[in-house]
Amino acid sequence: MTLWFIRGLRRGVVTTRYPARPDASARFLPTPPAFRSRALTRETAGRLAAICPSGALRLEDRTLVYDVGRCTACGRCAAEAPAAVRSSGEFELAAAARSELIKKIPIRGDLR
Amino acid sequence: MTTVEPRVVPGAVTTFQVASPDLEAVAHDLADLRLADMFASNGDQTTLRLVWANDTLGEAGYVITETPIENGEYPALSDIAPAAFVEECEIYEQFGIRPASGKPLNRIMLPPHADLPTLGRKPRSEPEEQHAPHLVGGQAFEFPFGPVRQVGVESLYYGLVTSGEEVVDLYLFTWHKHRGLEWRLQGMTPHDALFLAERAEGLSAVAMTWALAAAAEAAAGIQPAKGAQRTRAVAAELERLYNHAAAMAALCQSTGLSVGQSAAEIALERLLRLNARAFGHRYLFGVIDVGGASRAPDADAIREDLPAAYGEFRRAADALLGTNSFVDRLEATGILTAGQARGLGLVGPVARAAGLTADTRLVPGGPYGEQTTVATATAGDVLARFTVMLAEAAESVRLIGQFLDAGTAAGAVEMPGTGGTGLGWAESSRGEALAWIALGDDGRITRARLRPASARNWRGFDDACRSQNVFTDIPIIEASFWLTVAGMAR
Repeated sequence: MTLWFIRGLRRGVVTTRYPARPDASARFLPTPPAFRSRALTRETAGRLAAICPSGALRLEDRTLVYDVGRCTACGRCAAEAPAAVRSSGEFELAAAARSELIKKIPIRGDLR
Repeated sequence: MTTVEPRVVPGAVTTFQVASPDLEAVAHDLADLRLADMFASNGDQTTLRLVWANDTLGEAGYVITETPIENGEYPALSDIAPAAFVEECEIYEQFGIRPASGKPLNRIMLPPHADLPTLGRKPRSEPEEQHAPHLVGGQAFEFPFGPVRQVGVESLYYGLVTSGEEVVDLYLFTWHKHRGLEWRLQGMTPHDALFLAERAEGLSAVAMTWALAAAAEAAAGIQPAKGAQRTRAVAAELERLYNHAAAMAALCQSTGLSVGQSAAEIALERLLRLNARAFGHRYLFGVIDVGGASRAPDADAIREDLPAAYGEFRRAADALLGTNSFVDRLEATGILTAGQARGLGLVGPVARAAGLTADTRLVPGGPYGEQTTVATATAGDVLARFTVMLAEAAESVRLIGQFLDAGTAAGAVEMPGTGGTGLGWAESSRGEALAWIALGDDGRITRARLRPASARNWRGFDDACRSQNVFTDIPIIEASFWLTVAGMAR
């Protein structure tokens, strides 16, 4: 066991304080979507809600309801409507209450 | 219906119709093969399908027997192949048909008091959940363990029977995580189904989606391009590497070796970051597509990072093998004999550590050549499983280099959108992952069967725990099996 103790000391600390620096692998990973209200039409929003495989998107009148808690960052919405949806690059999604994970995105694409 | 004597064609899947009265005789004839899976499907009537595998090198292939069930009963197949018992229970819950012997059937899949959908008609009565009476000189008692266990471990309930310290018996309740995935897959296109298949057992995402994609390709009669097949194989070998590193970390945790655990976890983290760099996802989700692969690996990134990550893995493994107190805990713990592994139809490192050669990479026709080395051991204990995993990791590194040199590519052959049935397989780090699919005329799934290796190997876990082991051996045996509950409960 002494050998393991020395081995551990020699290896040193490999973990870092959060957030010491951006995670190098972060730029390769899919992230949850960010929506552009002005480019989002009711028709597009309906299509996105229909293709979302985990039911994270729901159409409510003139609002697209996005449940971050259900999103798996699969990227299908961003691929379906690149003008209205892009990958957010956001990883820090934790919230203190479940309700904070429900985002209401106004649909403004049809207003012009 | 005419009955033809079923036989295995190497590298192929051959399907035979067997009438219900002949099924028992046919099962006796095929009992030398491994009963790889058994499932039912509903059409005009319920059909029972048995998948048999020949694991012999050079002759590897599959046979499927299809039997329409007329009166809600079929011959008791678990009396011929013990491996069938778990599926007999599952089919009773899902389709309401049962073995003719009238034996008690346990609850496997559907949680009690939850109105989850079944795939066929409901069973006439609830599963009986009977277990053998346990008494050692009148002293044995039984205590529940789980389903909520220590931090980060999946929900699983052990019924642990003990006379004090020795494990007399152990049985599992695995239905807490049931998600009805096979029910949800119905009506989906194979492409959309991959999303759920890779979540059936997240740690085998590549193998399970590869199996499902291969099943859909077999049903449609298409073949992915060679480069895309090699992309799949690179992802599958990266998946094997990180899983074996995680199993090593779990073995250290279960033996109380925290510095060893940290060393294994450093290797694990490096391998996960390599996955992210090579394929864009730490757990390799989204790599497989029906008809090919959706992404090609970044070959330069793998060539650059893999040697260092594997070096970290190897250093931790060598240090562990040189530590007597660690090796002593593994040796003669959780022994499974070749006979037990064969009888229960076990797969992967668990079967190979008991001397069996079952490995779907040897089935002709895939991207793996005949020179793929299959690591085996004979002792059947935890140490044998660990050494098999280490040898497999070394082979994975060699294979990845070979596939990258031969050339990998993205791209998928288009599905024709027609009907058919097909069987697909891939070798996950836990062993053979199987999928069977039936497509309707519109190209959508009418029935899909997912059988990750975990769904197979949990049935060997209680046998391994019973063989002269004490309580503290159970976490060590569980780490050496390195299974997921999600794969069983799916």
